[in-house]
Amino acid sequence: MDNVLMLQTVLWLPLAGMFALLVVPSGAHDAVRRLSFWTMVLQFVLVAVLYARFDPAAPGLQFATRVPWIVDWGVYFSLGLDGYNVLLVLLTAFLGPIVVAGSFTAITKDVKLFYAMVLLIQFAMMGTFLAQDLFVFYLFWETMLIPMFLLIGIWGGERRIYATLKFVLYTAFGSILMLAAIIYLVLATQQAGGAASFAFADLMRVKLPLDAQLWLFAAFGLSFAIKVPIFPLHTWLPDAHVEAPTTGSVILAGVLLKMGTYGFIKLGFPLFPDATQLFTPTIMVLAVASIVIGAGLALVQDDIKKIIAYSSISHLGYVMLGLVSLNLIGIQGAIVQMVSHGLTAAGLFLMIGMIYERCHTRDLAAYGGLARALPVYSVAFMLLTLASIGLPTTSGFTGEFLVLLGAFNNAWTQHLGGHSFALVLAVLAASGVVLGALYMLRFAAKFLYGEAKVPHAPVADLVLRERLILGAVLVAVFWLGLFPDGAMRKTEPAAREYQLLVRTSRLPAVATAQAGVDALAPAAMPGTKP
Amino acid sequence: MNWNAFLVGMLPEHFLLAGLVLLIVWSIASDRGRGTAALSLACVAGAALSAAALGLQGFTGTPFSGQLSVTPAASLGKAVALALALPVLLLARDDHGDGGPLYPLLLSSLYGLVLMLGADSFLTLFLGLELMSLPVYVLVLLGDPQRRRATPSAEAALKYIVLGGAATATLLMGVSLLYGQGGTLALSIFARSLASSEPMAVTGAVLVLLAFFLKGAIVPFHTWAPDAYEGASVPITGYMAAIVKAGVLLAALRLFGEATLSLPMINLLALLPLASVVWGNLAAMRQPNLRRMMAYSSISHAGYLYLAFLGAGPGRFQSVLFYLLAYGVMTMLAFAAIPTNADDVQRDQLDGLKGLFHRQPYAALVIGLAMLSLAGIPPLPGFVAKFLIFREVMAAGHTMVAVFGLVGSYLGIYFYLRVIQYMFMSELPAPAEGRSPVRSAAIVASLLCLVPAIAVVVAPGWVMGGF
Repeated sequence: MDNVLMLQTVLWLPLAGMFALLVVPSGAHDAVRRLSFWTMVLQFVLVAVLYARFDPAAPGLQFATRVPWIVDWGVYFSLGLDGYNVLLVLLTAFLGPIVVAGSFTAITKDVKLFYAMVLLIQFAMMGTFLAQDLFVFYLFWETMLIPMFLLIGIWGGERRIYATLKFVLYTAFGSILMLAAIIYLVLATQQAGGAASFAFADLMRVKLPLDAQLWLFAAFGLSFAIKVPIFPLHTWLPDAHVEAPTTGSVILAGVLLKMGTYGFIKLGFPLFPDATQLFTPTIMVLAVASIVIGAGLALVQDDIKKIIAYSSISHLGYVMLGLVSLNLIGIQGAIVQMVSHGLTAAGLFLMIGMIYERCHTRDLAAYGGLARALPVYSVAFMLLTLASIGLPTTSGFTGEFLVLLGAFNNAWTQHLGGHSFALVLAVLAASGVVLGALYMLRFAAKFLYGEAKVPHAPVADLVLRERLILGAVLVAVFWLGLFPDGAMRKTEPAAREYQLLVRTSRLPAVATAQAGVDALAPAAMPGTKP
Repeated sequence: MNWNAFLVGMLPEHFLLAGLVLLIVWSIASDRGRGTAALSLACVAGAALSAAALGLQGFTGTPFSGQLSVTPAASLGKAVALALALPVLLLARDDHGDGGPLYPLLLSSLYGLVLMLGADSFLTLFLGLELMSLPVYVLVLLGDPQRRRATPSAEAALKYIVLGGAATATLLMGVSLLYGQGGTLALSIFARSLASSEPMAVTGAVLVLLAFFLKGAIVPFHTWAPDAYEGASVPITGYMAAIVKAGVLLAALRLFGEATLSLPMINLLALLPLASVVWGNLAAMRQPNLRRMMAYSSISHAGYLYLAFLGAGPGRFQSVLFYLLAYGVMTMLAFAAIPTNADDVQRDQLDGLKGLFHRQPYAALVIGLAMLSLAGIPPLPGFVAKFLIFREVMAAGHTMVAVFGLVGSYLGIYFYLRVIQYMFMSELPAPAEGRSPVRSAAIVASLLCLVPAIAVVVAPGWVMGGF
């Protein structure tokens, strides 16, 4: 099959699956499950083939298509695979069948609508990563809200309405400001270049004065930061995670949060390099605050879902730290960390879902000594815990280690130049690793060891379906931990391009000096100028 | 009189007038009035098709010089408004039955709308506006045939007619000032007065504008809308929300033409619509009643529509017509899908929608889509329409107005989502009768709306290219 066609198929397959569900009678739950599962499997197979064919040496987009859509506005339906999105597309496709299979027994209410929404969100996430046109990107970015709203709101826990509204209203606020920024940015591009265009490549060339860059960056950044989420915009996440059904949590932690960091690396930072330079210290502080505060909060939770939810905030802090380090190692580490967190958090949420199906409680105090009662479960849980901590040979190690290496590299150069601020932050970030080990080991120790307490005992150990799901996740975790170089070679050109884009100033050539003066002295009266 | 322009260019008007005459004759000839609905439907469909054909062929003509002219823009506007009337007629047949005063009233209101959109002078404009509005007062008074007490409808109709009369008076006052200053009744005098600095001309223009704000339910002239919407039956509420609003806005477009605005006018055109967006969305959150909620929603949508007038001349028409199409289609879709209930008051309660997905999945999905579109969430039609309007506003240099407008639109997301929450996320004891059947007319009406909605989603550029 032709590569370009294959990429199109990857995108549209979940949507086709959703419409195919319409003809399945609503009572035929097994048929619905099977159809969704095989749609996802097919998508993953296609993505795996594309991943293998993705050539790390070729520059720019691969397997790209560009179909005119709203020509008057310069909107093209443009898709493609590049170093930025290739791993995230692979992760999304990999988690697809796992998400579907993981919910076979947990979801018994409105089964058809549930899988329709899972397929729809898969479509929206794929589209967000693949889009190479800002209008199309925004369309997919927002489309994702609808299925997630329903997933949490219909199949969630007791406070699901509160959680889902909080999630949507938080996210939509960022998005609406981003929409204003998109319109402004495109009009500015049009004024500069003559033709309206939403293509990422065109937008990366437009020169903007510093004040415009700051405003636009604030709008884009707010939207992405809410999605990541970065402290102090994180408060929606614990509620959403706790109330969401397992599937919702897995999608949220596995892929959705990466849309925020992906937004930063693909758009937020490279579109407004001068604003990014100005904001870098702020973002570093917020990233380190997310790492430390997220870890600290995870340490004191009694709800097992909340522990993983707060740990997500901490882990994504590393991604942000790596991205703003602007050091090739740090950037590569951030990309690996995105995938690694997607795998480990998804795996841990799946395992929490499995134990919840058996014991119907998320209270950590209710559990103890599971290692004896559920040996297979406990082994898998321990492995994922260690991967989450960042034990060498797991994916978590590769990501966090590279990010810290990058951050220290960067900080040390600055330290030698007389600025120790970055070094202090890097040391604090490193302390997050210790905190990470603390909260995860506290969780595992109470959960798996000690006095045997199993609610609703006796409970059965993992069945074959669950073992296969967790086996797949663990294989991926160790694959990325032991052989990261294959993946990293594919992302390296993108990391270099990102580094170059953010380091190159894009202030308008003529007005550069003037803009600088204006920014420094906003109170200067026009009349006082000669 | 130009005969070719009169015969061909006014085909939509002729269809409606012929239908009106036939209806009256028919109601005298047959006492049961069977077939009235079908006849009206055929006439409106013919009028809509001929208007669309005239618009797409680019027909230009002047049947009555200085009074009435046909332009492609006017024809397209007529086509959109008339096409939106088709689902109204289908729903009305279901709710009000065949025959009765509803159909002639609806047709004459449409006739007024179509005349108004072709107006070249304030005389024709006034004639059209009144011919469009007067039957609607009566239509509100008809209320819901299933309602037991008629009082709310009477109250609503009274409020509506008093405020509508105030709008008429304001319009006439403004027109007489404009006439006194310019010595002509031609519509172009309005655009000239907008830029003028003569106090009398400006006062006249502002009064005319305020009349249009009142008819369009812009804050602070919006108070009639919630009562009128609540008092009327479901199809008539849809008619007021989608079609009367479209008529008022399209007439305002014709009035503004390609005029450039002076700064005080820009402020007026930015502040009141922004206030409508914010207030409409905030007030809608507190409504327990579906039609009142939709009324406040329509107030905020009127705000977006008037914001489009801040844009540059040529873009105004495209963005307003596109928005009216997207908004009208989705509003009608929501009204078409509201399930029937023997008790109208019950039917109107938002609580009545609880658990609808389990009783009528199709209706719940369709209402859900309509709500998401009205909230402006992509990829539904409402998003592209809103994008177009705010792009026009920002391109004209009013960046902050666009930002405030977008933030105002954010306030609306909550109450639209609440409807979805009621339909999908409420646990209700399973109703004894199980799934209630969906009315066939409602399905046809919703399909009439869904097809253009899908066209707008899949190929917005193609739809806009037609304008």
